[in-house]
Amino acid sequence: MKTTQYLPSSAWAFLIWLITMTLLPFTIILGMSFLERTELGTILFSFSLRNYQQLLDWVYLKVLVKTVWLALMATLSCLAIGFPVAYYLARVQGTMKSLGLILLFIPFWTNFILRIYGIVSLFGSNGILNQLLMFLGLPKASILYTRWGVYFGLVYNYLPFLVVPIYSSLEKLDPFLREAAFDLGATRFQTFRKVILPNIKEGLFIGSIFVFIPMLGEYVIPDLLGGAKEAFLGKVMVEQFFILQDWPLGSAIATMLSVLLLAALWLQNRWTSKGLAHAI
Amino acid sequence: MLLNLEAVTKNFGGFQLHPLTLSIERGEFFSLLGPSGCGKTTVLRLIGGFESPTSGRIILNGQDITSLPPHRRNIHTVFQRYALFPHLTVFENIAFPLRLKKMAASEICSRVTECLKLVEIEDLKDRRTHQISGGQAQRTALARALVAKPDLLLLDEPLSALDPELRMKMREELKTICKKVGITFLLVTHDQEEALQLSDRIAVFKAGQCLQVGTPKAIYEDPVDTFVARFIGSVNEIAGELQGEPSPETGELALASNAGNFKIKKNGHPLPRQVSVILRPEKMRLLRSKSTTQENLMEGEIQDQTYLGSRTEYSVKIGNSTFKVFEQELERLKKRRLNTGDRVFLAWRSDDAIVLPQQTV
Repeated sequence: MKTTQYLPSSAWAFLIWLITMTLLPFTIILGMSFLERTELGTILFSFSLRNYQQLLDWVYLKVLVKTVWLALMATLSCLAIGFPVAYYLARVQGTMKSLGLILLFIPFWTNFILRIYGIVSLFGSNGILNQLLMFLGLPKASILYTRWGVYFGLVYNYLPFLVVPIYSSLEKLDPFLREAAFDLGATRFQTFRKVILPNIKEGLFIGSIFVFIPMLGEYVIPDLLGGAKEAFLGKVMVEQFFILQDWPLGSAIATMLSVLLLAALWLQNRWTSKGLAHAI
Repeated sequence: MLLNLEAVTKNFGGFQLHPLTLSIERGEFFSLLGPSGCGKTTVLRLIGGFESPTSGRIILNGQDITSLPPHRRNIHTVFQRYALFPHLTVFENIAFPLRLKKMAASEICSRVTECLKLVEIEDLKDRRTHQISGGQAQRTALARALVAKPDLLLLDEPLSALDPELRMKMREELKTICKKVGITFLLVTHDQEEALQLSDRIAVFKAGQCLQVGTPKAIYEDPVDTFVARFIGSVNEIAGELQGEPSPETGELALASNAGNFKIKKNGHPLPRQVSVILRPEKMRLLRSKSTTQENLMEGEIQDQTYLGSRTEYSVKIGNSTFKVFEQELERLKKRRLNTGDRVFLAWRSDDAIVLPQQTV
């Protein structure tokens, strides 16, 4: 079915915003990723695939694999921690629901950098955790400036972004579906596996993608919690722009991340007929 | 007996289900009828296992199922809003309980096909649940609840979401299907007409209490109290006081009321002096002129009339109260039609009056 839809006049401002702030920068980045740079760091306007070839270098591939692996683990951890929370919030009513939702959103009202520094003071070598461990007569734990610090920071920061889409897809589910499944002879586990899970799998998938992709490109968390030794994709990308002055290569990394996101969304659209709009 | 409730009670929030003892026979179409909030749905949920009783026992087929969870009771439910699984086709929705039983694929196919035929939706089997209409969803839900041949089928206001025309059609079909499959149906409804049309027996509920259990005829013609009488069908009420003792031969009694003095008969219940006489509108006759041969006669004035094709409903003002009278339209070209304001007489027989103790509420 095809219908002609006109843009309401009030949406023009947003459209202009989208074009100037999203589409245009993205086009510039995309274009720049096919350019070369001079020894001095200035951009040379000649078409080349050098940047993408360079990405296939073992140095970058290692960073890519490490970053994907960490983001994957952090996403799965967010799922494991977030799912029961979302499930509980979708089913409980009254005060506990409002309280739970407020607690879930409080981090959003606190500045991101402040929260990360909170983690620093928690895990630092003389941080709260280590003082507690010393008090108990246990050896110190070094979490800050290791990949575990990055992992913890990622899970902590992205958890609400995964709970919300799962919560909203569970909330949309008719509560009588559970009863109907019980009624027709399904155990609790069968009800979950055969009725609840198939009906929220799009929410789960979309939520995971929306957490996984930004984790891949995350810069601040690895920078502040990972220390100098831990190289992650986002950090490498930022270094290309601001330290190594290789804007074309940085653009190639950025483009690669965007292509990964689009590919994931395209796959999701292929798998489910209802598509993206339905899942959100 | 298929199902026995033994002094079942349930307390939650401000609601209290009074001790309920009820027996339902195999193959019966039984209805729980009452206004919203009367506890009928609670009774259904107790039987389905979605709530557990505060006290009492629930016996199915001689087995105590009081503490069994829903999935271990051989009872299936048709939910009010159907609760079809949106990720499955019509066929797979119906096959759901059979797949849980790990039945062979060929057996599943033949059982589901049989049920699809029964509810006449064979051509919809590959549709998704959002591609079918309300009536079709209703049929799918019914087939899904019937396919595993439960001992008891619970129906929670299944027709309330359908438009009136479809509702009438589904009523007929529900009754036919119940007799065809031989499964016991337990229906919850607030629609008295639906209960009368479908049920072998009805239990009438009010505020957590079962007031009366009986056949539709018994409930309509011989209600135990004024609440039941008012809830089923239309009523005219005359409040009055009994005079003297009943005559030993005929059981006739004299009644004094604001609307006049009447002859009534005792229906068997012990009666206090203050009684309510219940007269059904179709059991009163509308006379154009005074008659001396009638047992009871009241004089009044036509206040309003509604022509409904097969009958006309009149409102007749007598004293301070208004009486409803239904008159069958027996002749196509009636000579003398009644107009608003005409003087008329209402005649009724003492046998047709239901005499009940007066209730303040």
